[in-house]
Amino acid sequence: MTHEVAAASQPFVMDTTFWTATTIFLISYVVIISEKVHKTVVALFAASLMLVLKILSQYEAFHVEELGVDWNVIFLLIGMMVIINLMRPTGFFEYIAIKSAKAGKGDPMRIMIIFAVVTAVLSALLDNVTTVLLLAPVTLLIADALEVDPIPFLIVEAIASNIGGTATLIGDPPNIMIASKAKLNFMDFIYNLTPIVIVLMVVLLFVIKLVFGRKLKTREELKQRIMQMNEKEAIKDPLMLKKSLFVLGLVLVGFVFHGTLELQPATVALFGAGLLLLLSGTHEPHHVLAEVEWPTIFFFIGLFILVGGVVKVGLIKWMSLKMLAVTQGNLLATSMIVMWFSAIASAIVDNIPYVATMNPLIIDMAKQMWPQETGLALLRHPDLMPIWWSLALGACLGGNGSPIGASANVIVVGMAEKAGQKISFMRFVAYGFPIMLLTVFISMIYVWLRYYVLNF
Amino acid sequence: MKAKDIMEKVKDYLSPDDTIRNAVNKMRVVKRDDGIVGVKGMIVLDNEGNIMGMVSVKDILKAIIPFYMTMTELGEFTWEGMLAEMTKKVADKKVAEIMMKDVITVSEDAPLMECADLIVKHNLQRVPVLNKEKKVVGIIYVRDLYNAIVKVLLDDKEVQNL
Repeated sequence: MTHEVAAASQPFVMDTTFWTATTIFLISYVVIISEKVHKTVVALFAASLMLVLKILSQYEAFHVEELGVDWNVIFLLIGMMVIINLMRPTGFFEYIAIKSAKAGKGDPMRIMIIFAVVTAVLSALLDNVTTVLLLAPVTLLIADALEVDPIPFLIVEAIASNIGGTATLIGDPPNIMIASKAKLNFMDFIYNLTPIVIVLMVVLLFVIKLVFGRKLKTREELKQRIMQMNEKEAIKDPLMLKKSLFVLGLVLVGFVFHGTLELQPATVALFGAGLLLLLSGTHEPHHVLAEVEWPTIFFFIGLFILVGGVVKVGLIKWMSLKMLAVTQGNLLATSMIVMWFSAIASAIVDNIPYVATMNPLIIDMAKQMWPQETGLALLRHPDLMPIWWSLALGACLGGNGSPIGASANVIVVGMAEKAGQKISFMRFVAYGFPIMLLTVFISMIYVWLRYYVLNF
Repeated sequence: MKAKDIMEKVKDYLSPDDTIRNAVNKMRVVKRDDGIVGVKGMIVLDNEGNIMGMVSVKDILKAIIPFYMTMTELGEFTWEGMLAEMTKKVADKKVAEIMMKDVITVSEDAPLMECADLIVKHNLQRVPVLNKEKKVVGIIYVRDLYNAIVKVLLDDKEVQNL
């Protein structure tokens, strides 16, 4: 399947503006990767440079979706963060964790498996960071109670959260970004990614059993410590918990039908946040809103403007031409390259700036392949869909490759360190990298079979 | 009156390399000016006598309670003997790891009002007193300050110039 590569519709010149924007972009990414300066600071400063140097006008940055801030992503993140911040004090997550440990009868192997599944499901429905942030402390407690090494548990949870988060539109920021740019809806993700994620989770559970099956042992009296815990005591605010679960259920139903209802996911999330704030009866929304992860939100804002600058000067289009030259317009080759390149890149760097760059690149590539198509017909071109799925799978699963590959990993490593259990870089890689290779390999087979052989 | 007029001289101190086990032992046996044995907090000095930090009973408890308990609402989920287990775990931890590093100090010539203000503002139990060379010469305890106030309230003629 090859396509004639159309000539670039808007010729661009490599003038001073082009080089200025490209330099700002490259230096910013190098500094973000080096972690010498906080990524949010870098992104905001670089974005302001793009505006001050008039590479991008303020109007373009604030109001033009192709060049500026993607408010769908921003408000979807804020909406979900507010809902979770209101839910957190109810004790719901602690309840789930203790109940899971008891369901495993205090047996470390069973607990690890159940925790992996619970982490994956919660990551798919909420977000990875929140999930590991709330489950890791309970994991440490349970490991202490059973007198087993908590590190394998923590690493497995991070890995499960990255795999689980791949399954849905809201599971992982790369998916949120891809959905917004490619105009994909919640059910597209459920049809296309959830099946393979379920397969990957089953594979992960087999791997866990294979690796830890013989090692994880504890004494009978220690199991009793877990069995004597009463999970009901975790619930701090039963009324608020009921309200939270009602709203969360409503929001999830909203996501499932948002395509039919013609409501954007961000609208659904904001409605949920507004409704839950109202139902909570709070007169002090200050602390709930203060707990929104503003550094993450502003990182996105800065990044969108930064990438918008290089989109405008044509750097991204130039990159997409180079990519087309490599793939010769062969769609299967493009899918495979996008998936593997995304996986390796996401293991090494933060997958959020990576996806922010890849989204417009893929759209530009599509414009060259199907110059007669515009709008939704272009973004949701049947031949382009597998490439979006390859990007999502590569970027999300690649996060497992190293301790810095995903936010969930960083949190788990940080927590272990606080608990006096250092997870070395290489120890994480020893678990994560083979799992990443395995999951991406299986995903590659899936994409090839489903979209290029069986075509459904 | 100034800080140096009501402070207690430094009798004993911890080194950053002391283990928690050593530290609690030192704190247990040191004798205070009023004859009572044992203190609830001690300063940490380096080899040159510069102040590095301070360790109190609370810091030691904090070190024993696992951080995941303080971070979340897991207080109900403990087991018999957990505190003893956790205590044994941290016995050999170094004082440097658990001490409070940002110590609020006063100079020896500081007026008592300043000492009182700091103690109330930062909810302190003890304030190290530094000389001009920034070396610790003594410690003001809440009770020393309180005793001075008591004397005023009871019209003790000696201390009308706080």
